[in-house]
Amino acid sequence: MQQSNPTVLASKAYDVEDFAAAQELYHGRGWTDGLPVVPPTESAVAACLEWASMPPDQLIGIEPVREQPITAEKLAINAVMAGCLPMHFPVVATAWQAMLKKEFLLHGLTSSTGGSAILVIINGPIRHEIGANSTFNALANSDRATAAIGRALRLSLINLLDVRPGGIDRTTLGHPGKFSYCVAEDEEDTTWQPLSVVCGIPAGLSAVTVMGALAPRQIMNEWSTDPREILETFAAEMRANQRHYSIYGGNYAIVIPKQLREPIQAAGWSKRDIAEFLYERARVRRGEWADVGKGAVVRDRGETVHTALTSPDDLLVVAAGGPAGGFGAVIPPWFGGKAKAVTAAIGACVDCERG
Amino acid sequence: MIIRVLDPTNEISIAAGQPAARPTTLQGKTVGFISNGKEGTKPYFAELERRFREELGVAHVVWRTKSNFSAPANPSIVDEIKAWQAVVAGVGD
Repeated sequence: MQQSNPTVLASKAYDVEDFAAAQELYHGRGWTDGLPVVPPTESAVAACLEWASMPPDQLIGIEPVREQPITAEKLAINAVMAGCLPMHFPVVATAWQAMLKKEFLLHGLTSSTGGSAILVIINGPIRHEIGANSTFNALANSDRATAAIGRALRLSLINLLDVRPGGIDRTTLGHPGKFSYCVAEDEEDTTWQPLSVVCGIPAGLSAVTVMGALAPRQIMNEWSTDPREILETFAAEMRANQRHYSIYGGNYAIVIPKQLREPIQAAGWSKRDIAEFLYERARVRRGEWADVGKGAVVRDRGETVHTALTSPDDLLVVAAGGPAGGFGAVIPPWFGGKAKAVTAAIGACVDCERG
Repeated sequence: MIIRVLDPTNEISIAAGQPAARPTTLQGKTVGFISNGKEGTKPYFAELERRFREELGVAHVVWRTKSNFSAPANPSIVDEIKAWQAVVAGVGD
């Protein structure tokens, strides 16, 4: 029987006595997020690379500001530490390819005092292959795959770009999404196009969307089935974010679970209709800042109108969440339009020219 | 049982840039201030300009503002630096 060549890894290796010693090694060197990690053994890391058909030295990309190269081997080590199975690794690698696009401004949103996390939204058939759950507890620890994939991004930021508190990460507060912030869209229980398709990825392909995102702001409206009334609640939360956090427009994600999704769909509203409605309704006058203690920066521009979205294209509408409850979530951007959400197909070259 | 585990860090160090030669005096010199665009830079740089002029004899102060506070300075600003003898880049949060 022919033997395949074993994957040869270049990373420095350490011999430890046992699992507990491995934890002390990684925590002691600042290589964790504070939680225990899965020891990244050569075999586990090689399995990730082999699953994705990536040689260890494959360049995933270069961080544009600090010019740090990111290789497949180093990402795989961090993915294993986060709890990823080999089948999760293509999602992690593709998310990183998207994060390294210049318009994502990875350095800015990971170093800012503003404290965003990287929200990952998964679309396509890979959701089923990895066992992602798009329903109950969709924005939190809903399943193994999304929990581990989101965590892998954070661990790799810590270890590959020094995005650790007090290092490159200068965040004042942060939010719990910095442990893991990953959701899979519930494509089967909606009439809407998947987010990836809205963002230009051909239907049927798996894809990830990444966005520099603040914590989710939960809304509730169990008392209407009128799409306009339901979406007014989302618009109000977006306006609240403009008043209390940042007035400037950029990508917002909204997550609409089944109970609020169904009446909107039944009325024939598409994701585009939602985006156009919220583009019109989620806007504030600069003068409103004076109502919330920020009068000092209103100056003579009190009548200037700021939209939460710079255009309807800025809105990421995600169908996800448990089957019951008139809840939804507004996920604001890190800071207006400084950084752009990026969508990339899994298994496709994001930098390749079309033939 | 011994477990062999791997280093998760980049294990590479990017060569750091070399600092420019330090001026021995700012008397009669031109100093550039590069603001990241945040409000806090305005009073900070204003006070700094006053002190530079009054206490150090700086002849000219050029103020420039980045278009994105979390991105590197615009190339047009970087091009101007060669005409200055010193630069102050402030965060201003």
